[in-house]
Amino acid sequence: MASRRRMLLKVIILGDSGVGKTSLMNQYVNRKFSNQYKATIGADFLTKEVQFEDRQFTLQIWDTAGQERFQSLGVAFYRGADCCVLVYDVNVMKSFDNLNNWREEFLIQASPSDPENFPFVVLGNKIDVDSGNSRVVSEKKAKAWCASKGNIPYFETSAKEGFNVEAAFQCIAKNALKNEPEEDIYLPDTIDVVGRQQQRSSGCEC
Amino acid sequence: MSSDSSSTSGDEFTNPNPNPNSTSKPLEDQFASAALTEPDNEPPEIQESPNGVVNGSVSENNHGEIERNERGGAVGSNLEARQSVRWRRTNSEVEVEAPSSPSSSGYAGERGSSSGSGSSGGFEMIGGGIGGDDDEIQEVSNVDSIQDSQASWMPGKRHVDEDDASLSWRKRKKHFFILSNSGKPIYSRYGDEHKLAGFSATLQAIISFVENGGDRVKLVRAGNHQVVFLVKGPIYLVCISCTEEPYESLRGQLELIYGQMLLILTKSVNRCFEKNPKFDMTPLLGGTDVVFSSLIHSFSWNPATFLHAYTCLPLAYATRQAAGAILQDVADSGVLFAILMCKHKVISLVGAQKASLHPDDMLLLANFVMSSESFRTSESFSPICLPRYNPMAFLYAYVHYLDVDTYLMLLTTSSDAFYHLKDCRIRIEMVLLKSNVLSEVQRSMLDGGMHVEDLPTDPLPRSGTLSPHLGQPRDSPESFREPFVGIGGPAGLWHFMYRSIFLDQYVSSEFSPPINSPRKQKRLYRAYQNLYASMHDKGIGPHKTQFRRDENYVLLCWVTQDFELYAAFDPLADKAVAIKTCNRVCQWVKDVENEIFLLGASPFSW
Ligand SMILES: Nc1nc2c(ncn2[C@@H]2O[C@H](COP(=O)(O)OP(=O)(O)OP(=O)(O)O)[C@@H](O)[C@H]2O)c(=O)[nH]1
Ligand SMILES: [Mg+2]
Repeated sequence: MASRRRMLLKVIILGDSGVGKTSLMNQYVNRKFSNQYKATIGADFLTKEVQFEDRQFTLQIWDTAGQERFQSLGVAFYRGADCCVLVYDVNVMKSFDNLNNWREEFLIQASPSDPENFPFVVLGNKIDVDSGNSRVVSEKKAKAWCASKGNIPYFETSAKEGFNVEAAFQCIAKNALKNEPEEDIYLPDTIDVVGRQQQRSSGCEC
Repeated sequence: MSSDSSSTSGDEFTNPNPNPNSTSKPLEDQFASAALTEPDNEPPEIQESPNGVVNGSVSENNHGEIERNERGGAVGSNLEARQSVRWRRTNSEVEVEAPSSPSSSGYAGERGSSSGSGSSGGFEMIGGGIGGDDDEIQEVSNVDSIQDSQASWMPGKRHVDEDDASLSWRKRKKHFFILSNSGKPIYSRYGDEHKLAGFSATLQAIISFVENGGDRVKLVRAGNHQVVFLVKGPIYLVCISCTEEPYESLRGQLELIYGQMLLILTKSVNRCFEKNPKFDMTPLLGGTDVVFSSLIHSFSWNPATFLHAYTCLPLAYATRQAAGAILQDVADSGVLFAILMCKHKVISLVGAQKASLHPDDMLLLANFVMSSESFRTSESFSPICLPRYNPMAFLYAYVHYLDVDTYLMLLTTSSDAFYHLKDCRIRIEMVLLKSNVLSEVQRSMLDGGMHVEDLPTDPLPRSGTLSPHLGQPRDSPESFREPFVGIGGPAGLWHFMYRSIFLDQYVSSEFSPPINSPRKQKRLYRAYQNLYASMHDKGIGPHKTQFRRDENYVLLCWVTQDFELYAAFDPLADKAVAIKTCNRVCQWVKDVENEIFLLGASPFSW
């Protein structure tokens, strides 16, 4: 049981309601997109098997609700995260302004051991909308903010068109892995576990 | 334990009837036309189900005098006038009534709109193809909808573009509002809350005006509209309706809406208002429109909303026991409630020692889970509050769908319990698969529950050891039921609902022709709801019966300390035979109670 946890990389997705967190996750895990908005309740939980440097890992993705009433819920979900993904909508200034709150709230509630170097990834989503004409947050502005917070990797994405989603999650997985102490990965009993998890996930995905 | 209610079975039903063999008056004399009680100033296709017949006669019915109630009835003081309006039809018209025929019976004719396109420009058809909901009444001849009147309803809020200045908004038959005591809108069934700020302020003004006089406003009647108020601390709830539902029913609906709000937020929102009276609550309810609209929709199809009881999916006793055993196992490991449901029906449920679930909480929880799409896509973990259990505190719900309709809810007090609950779910799922519970559930969904056509003619032999599914073999349900299509069960029995008082559970027969469209089903539920309200209007004895006849149905209600039976018959059904049939229904329910109810404890709970 303990060893299974080590093979899991826990990823939390945060951001204002409606920026496209669920859509990004759905595009990444199921390659599906829906125009209909279905508010996330509490937190949804999905797993995805990823291959990285010839090894298999399970990304455990926590898609949280951006709705205001869930913001006190943090602790339950944030604890033990390996990477935190902050999402905003490039067409909504407020969702960008709020990134700072989301980041700080996460650091307070998850209280990671090394907050300075905790891996975040920022995604500017919905770049497809109106061919970019309704965009209010420039790439430059976003990148400047990321740089000021310790060089957070930044991606511009469209969950709708699947643009950059795979690349973003590759980076997310890589950063989550960096956070994991090396020695945990090479425990001898992990091999069965990987096998078992592969089976289960292939059952889920088809 | 299962024989709780057997003492009142048998022939007792006929005893409270002072004159069981009364020679019937000519049928025409017994019928007052419900269709004609519609207010004239309302276009008929907008009018809610015309069971004003029942509404208003409440005080009369309390006497339980069968002959009196038999006159059908009318709205309050207009009784005499209504009585003089006779409604006639011949037997042959009844016999030829086909489910989709708009002309023959009182069902469709008085609306003049049951032919699919018959909306004839009525504003309520703005809702277009959505249909089936409270105001967008539509005939649906689709076979699927016979089994399940939810089928044609689409979730989500509609008509957001409206406000109180829109004609269409004003004409909606049933509005629900939540507002704060400072007059800020929190929720409106129709229209955009922000645009309704002025209207909200008006409602608030009415309430505070009366409150300042040291009084409370509960009900305002304006023409054929009722305005019902419910004050819950800083939260005001208002219903404006011209559906002729009794006040008690509408108030009960407001209570449920308030409960739904608490389920999402807990009562601690009150504190926000104490700190800041101008507090704007709408953002806190973000994304929950579907939850409220689906609850409001359920007022017209789910009898649990007025019976305050839950219903079970019919299952073999052993199957339900198997499910209960594994849930009990989990409950012993620190889960407060473990609930396995299929749509709105319970498969099994278990509470940690002493913890018991109120049926209203179950209704609200199931509504919350089923209406939020988000739960269907993956495992979820969310704070929820059970208002009847503890309105102040959040519990945490782990929710997982085991198949399209079947979902497991594990409730705990600990916000850290996700992984534990996930492990519990894996264990439960394994056991359920191994013991075939899930496939039995699927089968039960297909077979349905009790069909009036299957009402046993002779009491089952007591010594019989066979337990056929709900009393009858159902190997080829279609061919078996063929001869009955269109005429319901024996003695003109169309439908029944049986509520066990000790179990907090009810069972309702499947809908069969002629009650086969969502609209007819809804009308029947409204009639039951009226009946329920009249039977529960204070000071009823242990045995009470009611017999009503109008042009839509013969309705029979029998309330004892142990159970309540509501039955609908063909309007031409013979009274004595109907009463006999009700006794048979009760016997039938008892014979199959192992399968249709969740009976007390699993072997582990004592
Ligand atoms: N055009 C466009 N629309 C998008 C994109 N991503 C999401 N949307 C739409 O934006 C709306 C909100 O998306 P969600 O993924 O549900 O938002 P969320 O961040 O999960 O919201 P919460 O669950 O409330 O926190 C939906 O209607 C999506 O279809 C995108 O890349 N392009
Ligand atoms: Mg979401």
